[in-house]
Amino acid sequence: MIWLTWRQHRGQLLVTFGLLAALGLMFLVSGLEAAAFVASNAGLAPGDLDAALGARYDAVYTVFGWLPIVAPALIGAFWGAPLLGREFERGTHRLVWTQAVPVRRWLAVKLVVLGGLVALGGLAMSAMVSVWRPRFRTDTFGNVGIFNMLGVEPAAWWLFAFMLGTAAGAVLRRTLAAMAVVVGVLAVMTFGLFTLSDHYATPSRVVTADQTTVTSQDVRLVEHAWLDPAGREIAETPPGACPRGVDAGRNDSARTAYEECLIGKGYRHVVYFHGHDRFWRFQLIDAAILLAGAAGLGLVTVRAVRRAS
Amino acid sequence: MIEASGLKIGGRLRDCSVRVPDGRVVALVGPNGAGKTTFLHVVVGLLTPERGAVRTAGEVAFVAQDKPLYDGFRVAEMLTLGRRLNTRWDDSYARERLAGLGIPLDRKVGRLSGGQQAQVALTIALARRPDLLVLDEPLANLDPLARHEVMRSLMGAVAETGMSVVISSHVVSDLVDTCDWLIVLNEGRVQVSGDIDELLSEHRMMTGPLGLSPNAHVVGGSRTDKEQTVLVRGAPVADPRWRVRAVSLDDLVMAYLRSPEAAALPRLEGVRT
Repeated sequence: MIWLTWRQHRGQLLVTFGLLAALGLMFLVSGLEAAAFVASNAGLAPGDLDAALGARYDAVYTVFGWLPIVAPALIGAFWGAPLLGREFERGTHRLVWTQAVPVRRWLAVKLVVLGGLVALGGLAMSAMVSVWRPRFRTDTFGNVGIFNMLGVEPAAWWLFAFMLGTAAGAVLRRTLAAMAVVVGVLAVMTFGLFTLSDHYATPSRVVTADQTTVTSQDVRLVEHAWLDPAGREIAETPPGACPRGVDAGRNDSARTAYEECLIGKGYRHVVYFHGHDRFWRFQLIDAAILLAGAAGLGLVTVRAVRRAS
Repeated sequence: MIEASGLKIGGRLRDCSVRVPDGRVVALVGPNGAGKTTFLHVVVGLLTPERGAVRTAGEVAFVAQDKPLYDGFRVAEMLTLGRRLNTRWDDSYARERLAGLGIPLDRKVGRLSGGQQAQVALTIALARRPDLLVLDEPLANLDPLARHEVMRSLMGAVAETGMSVVISSHVVSDLVDTCDWLIVLNEGRVQVSGDIDELLSEHRMMTGPLGLSPNAHVVGGSRTDKEQTVLVRGAPVADPRWRVRAVSLDDLVMAYLRSPEAAALPRLEGVRT
């Protein structure tokens, strides 16, 4: 069975792990080059050094920054969807399920071996990002795109996507339709989990005259409100509280002047946020939801296969 | 041996019972949609019936409709699949058989002709050395020469091993020379099951004037303005006004299919007339 699994899925395996190796090589070259740059420019002012490293970081980030969104979709579409969809399409399930190896064993080997490799690939990616990135940037939590590249997130997302594609292929019996389901469901899940994650813990509340005390940290902002001079919390400041200009484009000087005036009149910012210390809590809740989803999809797959066999 | 009792799957199989002794080459015939494929899938364990059960003796090998194979595999890799997924596997037999048929082991399955693909599928089933070989429409989509070749090599293997075989087809003439047992499946029920020679000797076709009672067990018939022709079962009628002739397998199958309420199940309890 292991031989058959390798023979049927070696294309996906080689491409996936080849791309991961290429990504690792790029990280290695980028990391070594950055280290050499830092060593030979020891006298550089911190700001200049940061700008130089930032430019290097951005160049590499454009290559893999889309991975948290696209990688699970690719895994689901090319590892998951054909696993049963293609067998049903070609009728080959009637060949392979009538050999002496029982169907349940065929399915178990495929799901465990391929699911294990998918999870391993996700862990490898997060490990590589975790080793390479700290040289350039230290934030891990505030930006959800970065957060989804670290810890157990890639492994959990990839495994969920794999099981999603497999279940869709088992139920729909069509590879292409299953691929479409993968893309659709992942889009909803990505947005849904991001929205839901605000509620993984009660947000911290800070009342401050200077918002940057919070926003300069690696935090996830949830909500902003005002405390009026009477001490009441309000979502919006009342009209006419201060003279309010209009900003054009990305210039925000009018808003800054308006807020400074409000602070001067005794208004205060109320900021709700999740602090960086919640990194693992959020990671594990995300992973638990995704793994529960993967297990449920596994059940759907087993049922669909049992009905067809 | 195959023993099915009271099989039911939705509307596709309705109370389907049959018993076939060992070593028979069974022709499973019936119109499209009669439930042949469903019945075979139950026999090989691909489908679980809602009611009833099937018993088969020993190793069962199956060649599904359209002879599915992995197009991207080389022929040798298909043999590896057979070897790795089965406990009983005769690799040298498989290689010799393919060599004898002139099918190269390093050729991709998708690049073989339809007849060669059928032979590869058959080889994988035969190399399992089955006690029962089940073939679902093995001759469909093959040209006449390939049909003949496939049947000939199959019958060679049957003669060698004495295994039981079930072949389904909706074309009776495909099977007339090779099979010795007939099962007619119609609308999800077994209508006829029996030894072909016995069935042929038990039935006859009689033609006579309209209005004359055949005075025999009538399976079915047809009429023109002046005459009626009926297929009867049992002893010949002595009345000289009837012209009596022997039936062909085709006549027999057609007559039963046209009269779905008629049945000939000599091996089942209480049906014999």
